[in-house]
This record gives sequence, structure tokens and C-alpha cells, in this order.
Amino acid sequence: MNSLKLYHFLLKSTLLIVLCMGLTSNLNAQSNLLVKGKVLDQQGLPVSGITVGLAKLANKTTSNAQGDYSLKISTYGKYTIEIKSVGYQKINKEVNVTASENTFDFILVETVNTLQNVTIVGKTETDKVKEQAIKTTVIELKEAYNKPATVTELMNRTAGVRIRQTGGLGSTADVSLNGFQGKSIKYFKDGIPLDYLGEGFGLSALPANMLQRVEIYKGVLPVSLGADALGGAVNLISRRPSKKYLEAGYELASFNTHRFNLNTYYTDTTNKWFAGVDAFFNHSDNDYKALVKATDPDTRNQYDANVPLFHNAFTGYFAQFYAGLKNRTWVDELRLELNTFNNRREQQHPALMTDPYGAALGKQSGFVPALSYKKTLFNNKFSINQFLTYNNLNINRIDTLKGQYDWFGNFTPNPLRIGESRQPSNSVIDSKNFTSRTNLAYNITDNHSLEFNNVYVSASRDGNDPLGPRFSGTDIDVLSIQSSYKKLVSALGLSSYFMDRKLNHVIMGKFFNYSASGVEAYEARPVFSDEVKTISGNSWGIADALKYEINNQSFVRFSAEYANRLPDQNELFGDAIFIVPNFDLKPERSLNLNLGYRYNKSSAYSYEINTFYRRTKNLILLVPIQQPYAHFENQENVKGYGLEVDGSAYLLKNLTLNANATYQNLRLFDVSVTNGGSEKNDARLRNTPYLFANAGLNYSINKFKLYSYYSFVREYYLETIPKRLEPKGFLGLGGKADINSLLVIPDQHLVSVGGNYAMFLNKFSLGLEAKNILNNNLYDNYRVQKAGRSFHIKLNYIIQ
Amino acid sequence: MKKLTFKVAIAALAITGLASCSKDSGGGVEPAKTSKYVMITMSENVLTKPGYATSFDAIPSGNISNINTTSLQGMGMGGWRPFGNSILKMFNSTGNELGIERLTVNSSNKVVVDKFLKAQDNATNGSGNFVVANATTGFYWDGSAPLKLQKFDPTSLSRTGEIDLTTAVNARGTTEAGILYRSVGQKFLAVKGGKLYANITYAKTNGTQKGFWDDFYADVYIAVIDIATGNYEKTITIEDTGSIAYINDNNMYSFDTNGDLYIVTQGRSALGGKSKIVRIKAAETDIDKTWDLKMDDIFAGGKFVNVYASNGKIITVIPSAVLTGGATGNINFSEIWEYYTIDIATKVRTKINGVPKVTNPGAAFGTIKVDDKLLLRVNAPSANLNGYYQLNADFTTASSLFNVTEGGSVSGFYKITL
Repeated sequence: MNSLKLYHFLLKSTLLIVLCMGLTSNLNAQSNLLVKGKVLDQQGLPVSGITVGLAKLANKTTSNAQGDYSLKISTYGKYTIEIKSVGYQKINKEVNVTASENTFDFILVETVNTLQNVTIVGKTETDKVKEQAIKTTVIELKEAYNKPATVTELMNRTAGVRIRQTGGLGSTADVSLNGFQGKSIKYFKDGIPLDYLGEGFGLSALPANMLQRVEIYKGVLPVSLGADALGGAVNLISRRPSKKYLEAGYELASFNTHRFNLNTYYTDTTNKWFAGVDAFFNHSDNDYKALVKATDPDTRNQYDANVPLFHNAFTGYFAQFYAGLKNRTWVDELRLELNTFNNRREQQHPALMTDPYGAALGKQSGFVPALSYKKTLFNNKFSINQFLTYNNLNINRIDTLKGQYDWFGNFTPNPLRIGESRQPSNSVIDSKNFTSRTNLAYNITDNHSLEFNNVYVSASRDGNDPLGPRFSGTDIDVLSIQSSYKKLVSALGLSSYFMDRKLNHVIMGKFFNYSASGVEAYEARPVFSDEVKTISGNSWGIADALKYEINNQSFVRFSAEYANRLPDQNELFGDAIFIVPNFDLKPERSLNLNLGYRYNKSSAYSYEINTFYRRTKNLILLVPIQQPYAHFENQENVKGYGLEVDGSAYLLKNLTLNANATYQNLRLFDVSVTNGGSEKNDARLRNTPYLFANAGLNYSINKFKLYSYYSFVREYYLETIPKRLEPKGFLGLGGKADINSLLVIPDQHLVSVGGNYAMFLNKFSLGLEAKNILNNNLYDNYRVQKAGRSFHIKLNYIIQ
Repeated sequence: MKKLTFKVAIAALAITGLASCSKDSGGGVEPAKTSKYVMITMSENVLTKPGYATSFDAIPSGNISNINTTSLQGMGMGGWRPFGNSILKMFNSTGNELGIERLTVNSSNKVVVDKFLKAQDNATNGSGNFVVANATTGFYWDGSAPLKLQKFDPTSLSRTGEIDLTTAVNARGTTEAGILYRSVGQKFLAVKGGKLYANITYAKTNGTQKGFWDDFYADVYIAVIDIATGNYEKTITIEDTGSIAYINDNNMYSFDTNGDLYIVTQGRSALGGKSKIVRIKAAETDIDKTWDLKMDDIFAGGKFVNVYASNGKIITVIPSAVLTGGATGNINFSEIWEYYTIDIATKVRTKINGVPKVTNPGAAFGTIKVDDKLLLRVNAPSANLNGYYQLNADFTTASSLFNVTEGGSVSGFYKITL
């Protein structure tokens, strides 16, 4: 608690400092004249690390991550700005700097040098992120804007990453990174913990056009991502153009799927202000066929039936309206966002595909304002980035049907029954969230920089449900009791370069603090107002990353982290219904090690080999205590290693091949054997794929692009099986497990093909794709079936 | 197509049978029957109850694994109810769905799922609660029609009809605003002397746990139905208790050797209070008002959770500590339960020596009979014990028969003759 009070003080102090710095900067501006601006690529994206100087003068600087540069000048007048960087054409431009005109942006043009079919280009921002000391997998989405591909599909084609969804478009998606999943993985949007947007910006419904790239961190998180992630994070990087444009896309696909996206950005010639909209809309009936067990209405015996899902639709929109000021003396960028979203998701079945539901559904909506402030000071040596949001999410769950559906969509009324699931509901929950993120960075010298990041989240929740449970002996709705949760994550890191910048070392420490309050109660236990309980806890984490550039083409990197994940509100307090409180929970802890090597022979071929080791203790699982109640407990320990191989090559001038494979040997250890469970020791982590691979072929000729993708997931098990009965052979590829298991998820093969064509000066594009062309049965989390063969067409139009 | 396949299979079996007969010079000699012992364990204490069912050629001994190449891995492995030559479970193995599933052992000695009868209501606790009267007649409760009992054929494992008991249920309480839910047979179904006994639930809640620990009346009501005619005959009463039986595979009643039926009521709440064992004598159709066994007289703050009757004695477990619930409660996973033999006539109880304190037998039967051996389920993690003890003939001592080290906590053991 004290830490949180301290944080409030720090937050106020920080805001004061920011204000003072803005003023100081304003004063400095009068005594130190500046010429400044942005360095952008041809897509309008910022380019960092570019040398910007004034001809014939010693004044030089490099553009920062936002592409910003600034140079001191002694007097107004004419200067020649020189911009040089490997991979881009040199720029020499004479400018007349005056008091009113001192900001000049530059657009770099890539140099393309062909030498025996080898193309050399400058490093993109994506390349730079990929090559930082902390292991990052980066999915560049620019190429996907014209394709009818989802973000989750693109992520699934990446080494070490599996996305598991519970159905079609819009269904809940869970990312598995190196075997970590669920709450062990944290999600961010532009470095901000994504929780503040609820399901509005959920991965499964997100069009690629909304993002510039996806950064996936397996193991160590950079200082700028403040979260108690145990095993990794996904950072969704928004498009941040610097020149005006408007893009609109529409996708039509099987299962009555319609997807729209609209992205626009406007700024005038002064580049002093900007405004824009990023929005998308999704609808899909998701009525693909699934193999289910139908039940004879008379005999109640079951038989296999391949039926279309009839209550599986998803409809949702998200819109972000934003406007701001930039390139002012007191601010580099001040941005106000207004986000709004509304999702409606039909629920076809419970967690397993056992029962057909025909009316149960969930809704979520929100109105989320957010404010961000960015400023670099002291000749780009110091930067501050502050983000604030306070919002209210509205969550409804509706399960009020009086009757029952069968798998063929036939309805049988039953006035004696309310609801299709175990928990009838007509609930309304208000979830409030305040998030503050402060990032301060200071370049001590050219080779040493210090970064501090602080994330404070305060969330509370209450609601009502006329059909929901009451505390025993009372008429008190269990949802009406407010609970709250506060979390503070502070990180301080130092990045240093040695040996002529060949060696990069990053070290960081993290501090976590949480406090939660709520009523220690559950359905069968009466509630008293004096039972409000507050608990809190602290923990520490440390991480270290090293990267050594062997030569221009290859590097090796190593990282290590001692990570924590704090128990969350639901785990501590339960749901006040069947999940009862447990205040004895300890944080999950994990030691994660990564070692990798990358070789890049320009554009001829490249490959990367990464290995990891993890040793995780106290994994929190839900376990029953007395029927029907359960609570969360620190239960499992997991250790093991993994290997990822990823490569791409030009087979022909216009034909590229990329492929990756992941093997992860994650096994339980120190499992209690006192209850007949000795087989679990050394057994594979359950419900987690251990071997998967992807391959893709891309062929481009002029404005045509053709591609095909193949994905393979080796069979795995929903529950543990003893190691001795596992499939034999190299990497477990030999045959089947020597046990008759009903809990096996079989081998899966997915093949998709597509192509797109750009016309009218690349303003208009047409994309076609056939997914799962072999119409194989594919499964996802908990054996929920995914769609069979489907066809997609996408039209995209952009004006710049 | 399925029918055709089935016919072909039958024909092939017949031909195979004839061929094998012709080889046996004796002709007409029945092939020797083999016995298989099937054990079920639950590998995780989670709501889906994953685990293993494995066949053995003989009653095992010593430390054993319940996972081998004959094993079936599935869900819903919380317990079983024996019927003739089958193992029936109230939860299916593919998804822990409510209903009645039959497991068998195939010719390769592998345990396989034979058939499943699914309850229409897979969300209400008690759906699939069943009793078997004979090879062709059984009854189960389905939450989709709470005032009716469903009939099924145990051999074909198919539903065959229903009995409407609305009148019996509505014989009382129709004007009580506090009764939010009614059902018949949700927790207790028993067959004795051609009569079907089904509990009538009058519940104070209508939520997810409707019918459990929410009795409106202090008395427990049981409808009596004539099986031959399907006619409701009367309602009998167990006075001043609550929560008859439960809906696990452990049905919480037992027939003594003389045919008397002993029934557990768990009491006012999940933690007990007025829990007792009552009986219906072999030739009677009403509760014997002259005999009951009250937990409160034995141990205040406890309750009965199982019963096995044999030769005028009851074998059950009695808690050694006041039951507590919640996150740190002792009721299920603490080793506080002790096996006792209780003389039915004198009510004198004798602690069974040689057996440690155990966890709550829960969904599993505490006491079972296999090959005329009385076996006690012993799960005592602190002593690294997880298996069965054999009760000696004196009913007061027992010794370890086998201990399961792989597969999870034991939840069932049964003999099948192939």
C-alpha cells in the first residue's frame, strides 16, 4: 500500500517535472536556436539512427526512434542539411531557417544495388527491433495490408508462437510463447498494457491494416514494457504515419464474413497538428461445419454428425479518433485519443464442444479516452513519454433461454429451465480502469543510455445480475460487491555499447507491487460488510541481455531473466460464486534463458537459430476444494528447453521460401507423487503443442504476388501422459502414443494459397485467398474445431 | 451403412465362432471365461476429472501403475457404479458430459468406451443420476424434465420412456413462495422389492446448485413407484435431516445381506448437521422409524458420506475433526476420515485397525466387494498411500492390498468377466 501512495506522489511529481521541463525547454528555445524535424521512409514511417548534419559544420546528430532530429544553430539563415545512411540515397538540401520556419522533414529513398541477384537495402525499423539485444520476433504487417489475412494467422506462422482460439473470427485468442500461455503472456499496444481497451482491440478480430508490426518477446521484456509477464509479451505497434493518407479495405469471405477497415491521417504543410481515424468492423456468422456428437432425441444415444454451427456469429467494431499537436517548443507530440468499441459474440457451446447453445451471448463495449505526451529535451539526450487513460468497460453476459437447442438448430421450449449453461445470467458489469505509463530515457553518452519505465494500473469492478447467485441467507447480489486491484510495475535499465558498438549489453531491474481489496466471500457463505479485506505484496525481477555482432552478417545474443507474475484479482478473491478466495497465493516465478544466432546474407538468404531454457515454479491453477467450489493454488513446476529454427531464402529472382520449426521439451518436475501421480514427473506440459512448423512460398512478378503457406502441428494431449508412452522416434515424430487416449489432439496440416494484384499506381489492390484448401479438420484450444475450407477476397484502396 | 457394417460384423463373428467350434473337437464346449479387473484413477483434482481406466488380469498387489498399454485416458474418471458385467459412469470419458457411459474391455484387453446415453440437460447437477432394476429396465433423472423420471434399457443403454411424477411432487409446497425449484430423483434413486424410490427435492434456490444443500423442508421426501406398473404409490419421509445422498457415482446407499436398505443423508449443509443413516427394511416400503444412526451422536460437526452394509454391520468413515469448508477447509482433501465398523443392532462402533486416516472418499465408493473380498479405499497422501486395503473377516482389521503410484487417486475397482 505504501508503495502505491508513494507512486501517487511520484506521479504528481512527474507531471510537475514534465510541465517544468516543457517550460524550461521553451526558455532554452529562446537562447539556443534549433533546426529540427523528422526523418521518414517512403511509407511515412520514422527512421531511426540516421545521421543528420549541417554541411561544412561539425553539427551532427542521429534521428531517434520516432525519427526526430534537432540541431543547434547560432543564428537564423541559410543552411545545407546533409542526411546520410547506408541503404538510403544521400540528401543535401538547402533550407532557410527562420523563427517561424525551423522544422524540416525528410523522406528517405532506399538505395537498391543489385549484385548477382543480391539486393542490398538499408535496415528498416523492423530489422532494428529484430536485432536488438533482447530477443524479439517481429512480424512486419505492411505486406499483409492487401491480403485477407488476420493478425493471428500471421503470428501462427512464426517460430515459437502458437495462437489458440476457441472458434472462428472474434473468438477468444490465447498466445502460447515457448510453452507459456494464458496469464503468463502480457499484451501491449504501443507499449501500453492492453487491458484498458478490453476486448475492443482483441487479437482475433484485429485487421492487419491497423498495425505497423507485431513485436513478440519470448523471455526478457524490454524496460519499456512494464508488466509482470512470466514468459513473454506481445506488443502491437500501431501505424504512425507522418504524411496524410486514407486507406479503406473490405474483405468478403465464406461464412458470411465481412470485414472493413478505415485508416486515415491528416496533417497540413506546417506539420504542427494532426488528426486521424483508425477503425474496423467485423462480422462473421462463423457457421462453418464441425464434427460433433449429436444426440438422438428419443434414445439419447450419440452419433457423429457434421453440422454447420448456427449460433457462432461475431459482430464488432472499434474506432479510434485522434488529434494532436506536434513539433512545438513544449511538446514533440501531444495526442488525444477517443476509442470506442462494441462487440457481440454468440456462444455456440461451452469450453468443450459438448452442448449446442442457441441463444447465449456476450457483449462488451467501452468508451476509452487516452492522452499521451512526448518530448525530447537536451538535444535529444532526454525523452519523456507519458500516457494516461481512465475508462469504463461495460460487460454483459446473457443466458436466459427457457429451453434447449440441438446441434441441428431445433429448439425445444422448457419453462422449467432458465439458461443453457450451468450459470444462467443477465449480468451487467462495470469495469473501470486507470492506467498511467511513464517512460523516461536518458542518453548518458553515445554508448550508454538509461531508461526508466513505470506502469500504474488501478482497476475496479462491480455489477448486477438478476439471475445471478446471492450470498447465502441474503438477497445480496454477489456481483454488487465492488472489488479493486492496483498494480505498480517499475523498471530501470541500462543499455551500453562496447567494442566499437559490436557488443550491446542491457541490464534491468524490475519492482512489482500489488494491492487488492474485496469481500472474502463466496456464494454459500454469508457476507458481512466488515469482511472487506485488503492484501498486498511485492516482488523483484532482474534481466540481462547481451548481443555481439560477429560481423556485418551475423550476431549472437543471450538473455536471462528472473521473472514474476503476480496473482491477479480473480485468483486472489475468486469470482464470489464458485471460485473462493485464496490469499496465500505466491507469485509465479520463472528463470528464462535464451541463446540465439542469426546470419543474414543480405537478401540471398538468412537464418536464425534460437534456444531457450525455462524453469518455472508455482504455476497457479484452478483446483476444486469442495464440490462445487474451487480455488486457485500454486501447483505446478515446469522446466525444459526449446529450439527454434527460422530461415528464408531467394530460390529464384522472384521466388522466396521461408520456413520455421519449433520443438519445445517442457516437462513437469517436483510434482507431488503422494497421490498416485508419479507419472507426471517428466511428463510433457499438457495441452501445449511441442512440435510445430511452418513453410511459405512467395512469388512476385510485377504487380502480381502469389503465395502459399503450410502449417503443421504434431499431435498433443489435453492431459499429461507418462513419458514412456509418448510417441517414439526423433522428436516424437514416430507413430502414436502407446495409450488409448480420448484426449489427444491429432496431427494437423493446414494449407492455404492466395494472391494479390495491385493496380492504378498501387492505389488499388485485389487479394484472393483460399484457406485450409485441403478442408482438414483443425482443432484449437480444448479441441474446439476451426473452420474448414474457406474463400476470401479483399479490396484495398489507399490515397496518399 | 452402420447397420450393414454391424450385420457383417455379426456374421463374421458367427463364422469365426463356428470355425473355432469346428476346431474344438468337443464341439459345444463354451470357451473359458476370463476375468479382468478394471481400475479407475483420477489424475487431476479438477472439475473435468481426467484420469485412466486400466485392465488387470488379477487383483494387483504391491506398488502398481494404473497406466499401461491397455489404459483408456479420458475425463469423468471420478467414479463408477457397477452393474452386472459392466462399469457404468455418470460422466462420459470424452468430455465429462452428464449421462450414463458404459466401459468394457475388448479382446486386446484394452479398456474402451462402449456406449453413452446423454442426459438432455448437461448443465444441472444430478442429470444422469441412475439406478438399474434389471437387464432391461433402469431409471435416470434428467434436469430437462425435473418432475419426471426417465426409463432406459441398461443392455442397449438407450432411453425407453419416462414416468411423470408431477402430481407426487406437487402434493406439498405448491403455495410456498420459498420453494424455487422442485425435482424428483435428482439425488437418490434406489430399487428394492419391485419398487423404485426417488427423492423429491424442494429447494430454496434455482441457480446453478439448485437441489443441493438448499432444502426447504427439514424432512426428506421419497416417492415410491411400482416398477411393474409405473404407478406412483406414496411418499415416505426421513424426518429432521437434509441433503439425501448426492449425485456422484458413490450413490450413498447400500443393501445389507438380508435385503435391508441403508441410506445416507448428509444433513443441513455441506458441512453436516443432523446427518444420519436410516433404513428401509427388506420387506417394508417405508423408513424404519425405530432405527437410525445419527452422526451428531457420534461426532458433532461431522456427517456421513458413504455406507456399506454387510451381515448386520455398516462400514463407513467418520471424521476425526470438525468439518470445515472454504479455501483451507478440511472436508475433502485432509486426512481426517477414519474407517469404522458399526454393529447395526447395537450401534456399537469399532475403529478398523491397520488403516490410516484417509481423505474423503468423495465420488468413489469407500468400501467395495471384489471376489468376496471387502476392499477399503485408502487415500492418505501424507503416508504415500493410494489404493485399497482388504478388510479382514473380523471386520475390525485391514491390511494393504495394493498401492497405486501412477495414474492419480483411486476412484474405482471392479471385476469384469469376458
